[in-house]
Amino acid sequence: MDAMLKITDLHASVGEKEILKGINLEIRPGEVHAIMGPNGSGKSTLSAVLAGKETFTVTSGEILFEGRDLLAMSPEERSWAGVFLGFQYPVEIPGVSNVNFIKAAVAEHRAQRGLPALSAAEFLKQMREKMAYVEMDSSFSSRGVNVGFSGGEKKRNEIFQMAMLDPKLAILDETDSGLDVDALRIVATGVNRMKRPDNAAIVITHYQRLLDYIIPDVIHVLYKGRIIMTAGKELALEIEKKGYDWIINDKA
Amino acid sequence: MTKPDFIYAPSLKKEFRCKVPLPDTRQLFVVNGTVQGGGAPLDIRIGEGERMERMLQIIDVRDSGRSNELSYCENFNFGKGALGRIVKCSHTFSLDSFRTKEKVTISLGEDSDVEFIVMQNEHNGAEHDTSYEIKLESGARLNMVFLSLHGGVVRNNVKVSLCGPHADCNLSGLYLTDGEQLMDYSVDLVHEVPECRSAQMFKGVLDDRGVAHFNGLIKVVPDAQKTEAFQANHNLLLSDSSRAYSKPQLEIYADDVKCSHGATVGRLNEDELFYMRTRGIPVREARLLQQMAFANEVLEKISSRELRERMASLTEKRLRGEFAHCRNCSRNCC
Repeated sequence: MDAMLKITDLHASVGEKEILKGINLEIRPGEVHAIMGPNGSGKSTLSAVLAGKETFTVTSGEILFEGRDLLAMSPEERSWAGVFLGFQYPVEIPGVSNVNFIKAAVAEHRAQRGLPALSAAEFLKQMREKMAYVEMDSSFSSRGVNVGFSGGEKKRNEIFQMAMLDPKLAILDETDSGLDVDALRIVATGVNRMKRPDNAAIVITHYQRLLDYIIPDVIHVLYKGRIIMTAGKELALEIEKKGYDWIINDKA
Repeated sequence: MTKPDFIYAPSLKKEFRCKVPLPDTRQLFVVNGTVQGGGAPLDIRIGEGERMERMLQIIDVRDSGRSNELSYCENFNFGKGALGRIVKCSHTFSLDSFRTKEKVTISLGEDSDVEFIVMQNEHNGAEHDTSYEIKLESGARLNMVFLSLHGGVVRNNVKVSLCGPHADCNLSGLYLTDGEQLMDYSVDLVHEVPECRSAQMFKGVLDDRGVAHFNGLIKVVPDAQKTEAFQANHNLLLSDSSRAYSKPQLEIYADDVKCSHGATVGRLNEDELFYMRTRGIPVREARLLQQMAFANEVLEKISSRELRERMASLTEKRLRGEFAHCRNCSRNCC
């Protein structure tokens, strides 16, 4: 099957500093890839570059998403195409309510697909249904986006937004950071419910913990801007036991 | 004297009439400083214990015909225990350049409770200078909201005197500029007696070469102990060449008071913008959502839902760069 996402020799810098030094990655529909690696290895940079953050400059390489040049697209165009980034640190937007925020996003997605706007009743029904995915209380909808949310609530809100937008490729950047076991289970259950043969996910994580809940097909180890190892899901347990040093010493 | 029952304008030119009046509101038109239907200057008196069941909308219109320079007064007097709800709009209906000087006195008797909304929507050739003299007796409560949506030069000089204990004064303002517009707010609020409270929240969104000034003085006289006074002025610059000048001042001569002030000049938050864009909200809409969120802090001070929604929709149109006219009405009231 053709790759949904194909990253070829991707180099990216912030200012003078090169962070990604030649990433190659292919993801096919139905697959879940985990990207692990020590702090500062470039995991979050990779996710930010995929979502289109302008702080990073892509100096060479190519990213194709369903055959289209992702790097030529604005962040909103990537979203319409079906790319979703779950933030490690979801942004608080005081004064913009959760419901208005997601309503604006859903309306735009539908408009881009040439679909008519949802009726208020249909929208609310979908919203209730998707909030239930992540056990989010309905009182959250009238509150400012992520304002005053706990760490776990923010991450649940990310997964809720993902459920509403139904992306083809979800990139979850350290979704497990700052979560207790219950929140982790809720978030992972939400993600698993959305899994289908025609969508894919990249799960970026530090720890093996999340991978007990979201079972990846492939694990990549990112170190100093390069993928230095790719293996099956067993690798996570080995990393949990032995750390990264043995891989780094072996490969780098 | 113009009584609020007297809201009637037989001689009013048809084109001035509002096509989509707010529900439950009486309208009074003042054309080139002349009250339509009689009586000048405008002198609204709400008697002791009288409660305005319906909102009174004063629509100040500048139109060609008379000298383009004009000065006039409007007086509002609320008796003891009165309840008042006023919305005062200023519009220019012809393209002449206008210079308007206005003096507005608002006097709140003991324990009166007044909401006073000022909406200014005039064209770029209009220069409108208003000085407000506001006085609150003991226990009086004022909620005053200024919305300067559009205008060539808009100057609002607001003098407030809290002269009876337990008076409570909330002043809020939103000013929007683009092109070469200038908006100049000057607030001079004096706590003359102990145990009063005042709060100010003024916010500006400035684009192009728009300029805004905010000079806000809070003065607490030596005897005015237990005063609570707050002031905030926040400005959002949308362009490199817009300018905001903010000068908050506190003069406190009493020692047992709670006072604070804060002023900021900033830009739209880039992290918020990126976050919204990753959800598929186009950059233009995302910026608008941010601006509306910023403006809402002022808009939400308007207690009437219909009026608040009307003003929010005008603000949104204005921020989108469209003519700010009401829904179902094609006339551009500015």
